[in-house]
Amino acid sequence: MGNAEIDDIVYALAASPNFAADGVCFAARYSGLYRSEDGGQTWHDAYASLDLHQELPTTAVAVSPNFVRDGTVFAGAPGGILRSADRGETWIVEDLPSPPPFVSIIGVSPNFVDDGTLFAGTLEDGVFRSNNRGRHWAAWNFGLLDLNILCLAIAPDFAASDTLFVGTDSAIFRSTNGGRAWREVDFPTDWAPVLSLATPPSLAGNHNHTLLAGTESHGLCRSEDGGQSWERINLDHDGPVNVIVTDTVGSPTSRSILLALDDRLVLSRDGGRTWSSWGNSSDLQHGIACVTAPQGLTDEAPLLVGLVEGGVVRA
Amino acid sequence: MSLDGSHRPNRRRRTAEVVFQPATHNGMQRGIDRIANAIRPTLGPRPRIVAIDRIQASADERMPELLDDGGTIAKRIIQLADRDADVGAMFLREVLWRLHDQVGDGTATTAVLFQAIYSGGIHYLASGGNSMRLRTFLEAGMWRILETLDDVTLQVSGQDKLAEIAESICFDPELAAMLGEIFDIIGEFGRLEVREGRGRGLEREYVEGMYWDRGLVSREMVIDAHRQRADLENAAILITDLEIGEPRDLFPVLELALRAEIPALMIVARKVSERAVGFLVTNKQPERFQVIAVTTPGWSQESQAAALEDLAILTGGRAFIAAAGDTLQHVRISDLGRARRVWADHEHFGVVGGQGDARGLRRHIRDLRRAYEVAAHERSPSRTGGKPAVRKNLSERIGKLMGGSATLWVGGATEVEIKQRKAVAERTAAAVRLAMMDGVVPGGGAGLLASQAVLEEMLHGITDPDERAAYRILMHAVAEPMRTIVSNAGFDPGTAMARINVSGAGFGFDVQASADEQVVDMVEAGIYDATAVQKSAVFAAVSSAALALTIDVVVHHREPEKATRPKPSARKQF
Repeated sequence: MGNAEIDDIVYALAASPNFAADGVCFAARYSGLYRSEDGGQTWHDAYASLDLHQELPTTAVAVSPNFVRDGTVFAGAPGGILRSADRGETWIVEDLPSPPPFVSIIGVSPNFVDDGTLFAGTLEDGVFRSNNRGRHWAAWNFGLLDLNILCLAIAPDFAASDTLFVGTDSAIFRSTNGGRAWREVDFPTDWAPVLSLATPPSLAGNHNHTLLAGTESHGLCRSEDGGQSWERINLDHDGPVNVIVTDTVGSPTSRSILLALDDRLVLSRDGGRTWSSWGNSSDLQHGIACVTAPQGLTDEAPLLVGLVEGGVVRA
Repeated sequence: MSLDGSHRPNRRRRTAEVVFQPATHNGMQRGIDRIANAIRPTLGPRPRIVAIDRIQASADERMPELLDDGGTIAKRIIQLADRDADVGAMFLREVLWRLHDQVGDGTATTAVLFQAIYSGGIHYLASGGNSMRLRTFLEAGMWRILETLDDVTLQVSGQDKLAEIAESICFDPELAAMLGEIFDIIGEFGRLEVREGRGRGLEREYVEGMYWDRGLVSREMVIDAHRQRADLENAAILITDLEIGEPRDLFPVLELALRAEIPALMIVARKVSERAVGFLVTNKQPERFQVIAVTTPGWSQESQAAALEDLAILTGGRAFIAAAGDTLQHVRISDLGRARRVWADHEHFGVVGGQGDARGLRRHIRDLRRAYEVAAHERSPSRTGGKPAVRKNLSERIGKLMGGSATLWVGGATEVEIKQRKAVAERTAAAVRLAMMDGVVPGGGAGLLASQAVLEEMLHGITDPDERAAYRILMHAVAEPMRTIVSNAGFDPGTAMARINVSGAGFGFDVQASADEQVVDMVEAGIYDATAVQKSAVFAAVSSAALALTIDVVVHHREPEKATRPKPSARKQF
């Protein structure tokens, strides 16, 4: 696949849970939100219905776990969250409290169908939470002592545990009450900033929550006890780990982990013991901004990679 | 000696009356029983009310004061007519009063423990025991009880568990559920204000960010006239305890802010003169630059310094302190704090999204927590020691810096009900905080009862009669709170205690359950006591009763001095 029409930074990618059949995916970029209905081959302006007179930088995007039925998409823009209930055709803008926050990530509850809960991490204003499908948002930052949210991971058993994590410039924080209050986990301060987080369901095996944290200068770290103790994973790479992708839709017992480093992808099939390069790194040499694996991490499954200099590569 | 050098007889001759044994013990016990029996009905989930007649009631205030809080009841009993009894009563009153101030709860447990130990002690001493040795062994037993409470302590978290703990204390399911939610969010140090509500029920509100109890220096600075409040976005903050007397004092800061194209400035200063306020108000340019000024928080130099330090770390600014000789002449842009939002009304000002160094802020909170731990463990087996004001101050500072606070409005049908429920809410909130810090033990007195087996073990091989007596007295005393709870609920304590004893450790009596399900595992039933409260009660009761048992002689002044509130510094630590 080529770089299509996108030529500025791709902040985030999101794909339909039924990507294999419908090929729907979204790319959030500085110049707006783009939608593809052919698995990322071609892209169209998803904000066309808004008839905007200028670009609307879009820094985050997420789809509902029930996207196939409810067609719900959320996009983060400066100062607000846009919500679509028709697969990105039309949008409703929900303002976040002023001053306008910079939305760095949107996380949707795995139990969204029932709880209607989602979260928006921001770069200066902490975490906003909505429990009515994105209609109203409120900041819930009790105990969140660093408001620069760089990444967010919701526990696979969120419906039961109400647990989620955020990574910030200086620490990792955990909430056990659905994002209404936060406590710092025991992550070594000098290993932060934390650029990426993941809670792989197949690695957890219990309700203690295995947590993977990709750092800026200390590679990949793992906790088997919800963040109380940490070990560094031997990765032969101390640079930034920008993205962690775990196999949430492939085999339920898969121990695969994919990492986006500066300019290459590496894959482990054994829960992080051994690593190998993924795909052709020449396409990625200008830097990887985001990755999504809509059909899991099996050998045949496609991978969408958003690049720093623009473009989405289908690997 | 009079001024003219002549001697005059003192009109109030201070002749003394000296009381010896057995009148000392008997008299003191009468007083102790009087106080303890007044408080005893308030222990447990089915407390009875103690009505206190008003001393100086106006015609429309004849309604007696209705209390179910042992500490307050003790405070209200200021003197007994029987002077020997009065010594014992005031002794116990002082113990309960101090515990109430320090912990906020556990006074009824302390009262029944104290009474049981004193009563057992004087019976033994009457048969020839040595009071000083008895005291030593009582205190040795006390430490084993405290260790046992630690052993059976469970750590708790989560809204549901916190609500269970709250309900074990306040026996008010609605209030407990709300306190469970609140503390799950604000944490053990979180700031909670309990206020009297206007409605009939309970309401709560969460406030994002930190706020202090000082407001705008002038009504002219209100921006939102409807809400009588000023909100500024992306504001810089000048942090000082200096007095700003003249407009020119502000010129360096204002020039700096304008040059740096800062859109808004909040001045925190000890005092801003009318001339300076007038200058700011008449020269305001809302579209370009907004300025508000608020008063430096804190009522003393020390508390002001603490508030300024917190504010500076939170916002990444520098505090300009008068005592350090600071002036505003050489303010640099990096000296100003920054925040995403600041707000102020006539009573408070607040900061949301302070942009200080996150690592520095967490270090500061860790330092404050360490200071709290040191203060709270001063002469206490749990986090209830030291001066309550110091603990409260540190706790509030930590709570503020954690990023939010909650307000609970307590309503009711009548003013009396509101006041009573508010007092219960405050007492429960204090105990829930302690439970979050120090954990909980099986409730309803079951945690204390667990130490009976340990005390019995201590008896093995002991032949010293004083030591044996001490442990036996304590074995009886640790069952007394549970026995009282059962009795207060209208059940036969003898039968209940027999059923509990055969059930094993951790079992107790759920007075709210149906007849065949009353003897239960208290943890499984969700009935808890805060460990810190129980430990403080044991510590206060045993150490002070042991001391009281060593009192052999009482000297009465001819005219007894009126009971007054003891000064904290003058209080004796047991």
